[in-house]
Amino acid sequence: MGSEIKVAKNSSTDLRLSQVQLDREVELVSIDLPDSQAEPLFERGFLPGCRICPVRSSPSGDPIVDIDGSQMALRRETADCLCVKALRDLKGK
Amino acid sequence: MSPTEETEHLGQVLESSKDIPLIALAGAPNSGKTTLFNRLTGLRQKVANYPGVTVEKHVGELRSGDQVLADLVDLPGIHGFSARTLDEKITKDVLEGRVDGLKKPDAVVIVTDSTRLENQLMLVEQVLELNLPALLVLNMADELKGRGGSVNTNALSEKLGIEVIWTNGRTGEGTGAIIEYISRLKDNDFVPSNDIKNPTTAHKLPVLESFSKRKEAVKEAVSDAEFIPPEPSAVSGFLDSLVLHKIWGPMIFFAVVVFVFQSIFTWAVPLMDGIELLIETSGIWMSEILPDTWLKSLLVDGIWAGVGSVVVFLPQILILFLFIGILEDSGYMARAAVIADRVMYRIGLQGKAFLPLLSGYACAVPAILSARTIEDDRDRMATIFVTPFMTCSARLPVYVLLIAAFIPNEPFMGTFLNQRAGVLILLYALGIAAAIMTAFILKRTLLKAEPSTFLMELPPYRLPSVQSLGLRLLDRGKIFLLRVGKIIFAVTIVLWILTQFPRTELGPPEIEQSALGQIGHVIEPAIEPLGFDWRIGIGLITSLAAREVIVGTLGTIYGMEAADEESLDLQSALQESVSFPAAIGLLVFFAFALQCMATVATVKRETGGWKWASFQFFYMLALGYFGALIAFNIF
Ligand SMILES: Nc1nc2c(ncn2[C@@H]2O[C@H](COP(=O)(O)OP(=O)(O)O)[C@@H](O)[C@H]2O)c(=O)[nH]1
Ligand SMILES: [Mg+2]
Repeated sequence: MGSEIKVAKNSSTDLRLSQVQLDREVELVSIDLPDSQAEPLFERGFLPGCRICPVRSSPSGDPIVDIDGSQMALRRETADCLCVKALRDLKGK
Repeated sequence: MSPTEETEHLGQVLESSKDIPLIALAGAPNSGKTTLFNRLTGLRQKVANYPGVTVEKHVGELRSGDQVLADLVDLPGIHGFSARTLDEKITKDVLEGRVDGLKKPDAVVIVTDSTRLENQLMLVEQVLELNLPALLVLNMADELKGRGGSVNTNALSEKLGIEVIWTNGRTGEGTGAIIEYISRLKDNDFVPSNDIKNPTTAHKLPVLESFSKRKEAVKEAVSDAEFIPPEPSAVSGFLDSLVLHKIWGPMIFFAVVVFVFQSIFTWAVPLMDGIELLIETSGIWMSEILPDTWLKSLLVDGIWAGVGSVVVFLPQILILFLFIGILEDSGYMARAAVIADRVMYRIGLQGKAFLPLLSGYACAVPAILSARTIEDDRDRMATIFVTPFMTCSARLPVYVLLIAAFIPNEPFMGTFLNQRAGVLILLYALGIAAAIMTAFILKRTLLKAEPSTFLMELPPYRLPSVQSLGLRLLDRGKIFLLRVGKIIFAVTIVLWILTQFPRTELGPPEIEQSALGQIGHVIEPAIEPLGFDWRIGIGLITSLAAREVIVGTLGTIYGMEAADEESLDLQSALQESVSFPAAIGLLVFFAFALQCMATVATVKRETGGWKWASFQFFYMLALGYFGALIAFNIF
């Protein structure tokens, strides 16, 4: 819990969840946050390999994503720390 | 139907029934635990469509005819066992049997929202790691099937090594299977087994690996069970496109907040006036028929006045919680939290603080309890700390009295606003400003931390059910009457005793000579710089029970001094003995100071000690004192 080890940043991708367009499904590569801050994300299924799809943004421009059939609102700052990779061009859900 | 057991009594209740199995209901927030709990026990426990609303653990009996089959505990919703939040700590402690007086549960019923099965199974995996006999409940069967989803329960059961059943909490379908599972537990020869064949060791791994491992197990389970996720709800999608719209969203948000406030005043105030009148006239009636003894004085001035000062707030609190209930049950509150998050975050709070702060306008006690849904400890602490700055209903009678006595009823800003209304609005704003400033400073000093991770789940919109709203109101009303009532009641009686001594040969002393009056004189030097005399001093002390008690106290003091006892005269009496600047100071004092022992006691409980509770009390007192001092000197 108190571990300071950061989840390794994947060098092959610079794409962050905050940059992903709406309705474009992506795959989570890594979470660039200390464990203590990443754990709530892990618990909700934000784990390397999972699929995330931004479905809308809040009035303040923060992303709302679909993950495993749940809609989850997070902050831009958090989304900035989620390294993702594009899956394929998808027409949305 | 037995009444809701308060957490404190929980120990005794269960200690005495060792042979009755204890069954825990666990699961993610909003999966339907409370709905099922109410169905199974007939117990009054509130239900809501806002993640994490179960703020206390509740226990009830599951009966079959006359026989008690089991005791059921409804646990708060959690996402995991990292024990970051109070709710997670409580749940983990209960499940591991580490709560004093509460035995380790004999089995756990894991309730899941089947429409989000894959998401929910992560928690199921973690619960199974505790190696308790378990039953998996796939709730919201109606929604899953209605939107075209399905899952093979046999395969899922096979995979997880526990029984799996369907339920619909709304109609009660499937609850029979839960009862059947529990009654089988009572037979000694039935030993429900978990997946003993491969005990998971996930929790011994580093955090990320342990979750990845669980995720793998979940992936396998959903694919083996041929889980077909439901189509996303079209209605929810449409509503969200409005409610979370860039322009409409904030407008709807604002309209909702204004509407809720409006309703508190337009609907609750006449009711409160009615109750007040009722208490007053019944008090007068009582004092007429009772013989003139100290007992009468205790009954009428002590107990009846104490009861009255609690009960008058009930309408306002119930109406506010009715609206909050509708907002929560419908799913709007989760969206409101998302909309409010940005602004709150700048201040040093977060979106989930919106609900406690809004509730704080009725009463800080239930509001502080609802702060438990805030995951980050520091955010939660900051929220609890600033919630009493919201203008709760107990401040209103004080404001109304002083404003009526000192502020002229003249137009202000054209015909737009009356001066009195203007001052009232200013006082509300003063509370908000103090809250913002305090949160801002706290989060940069004592509660400084890495920014927390704000995650808000948006449940689908659901039509609130009348029954669940009714249960919620009952629950809120009970918390208010028990928590707040007990303390106000006790303090009122103590204060009454202080007015009765030292006895003179004619009976009770003049109020100035009484123990209370002497205390008033003792603190007089401290409040003299604010322009207050010993009478206001007594009022400040009695208002520690609850703010509005000062109104009655001042009425009594001035009433005892002057021969004629007309309530109208309290205003003119005040005008004579309190200067205008001092009156403004008194308003400011009440806007800031934490004159409420019930709140202090709640904060102490919720933060686990006196440290924060006393800090908050003295901080707010200092702010009130210096605020009043400044007001007294500039006006
Ligand atoms: N459609 C549907 N709604 C349900 C069902 N069970 C519960 N609900 C609703 O889901 C919401 C959350 O339920 P609640 O019992 O408060 O969940 P808890 O947070 O797990 O205690 C409430 O609005 C319930 O009325 C169900 O089986 N079907
Ligand atoms: Mg609940």
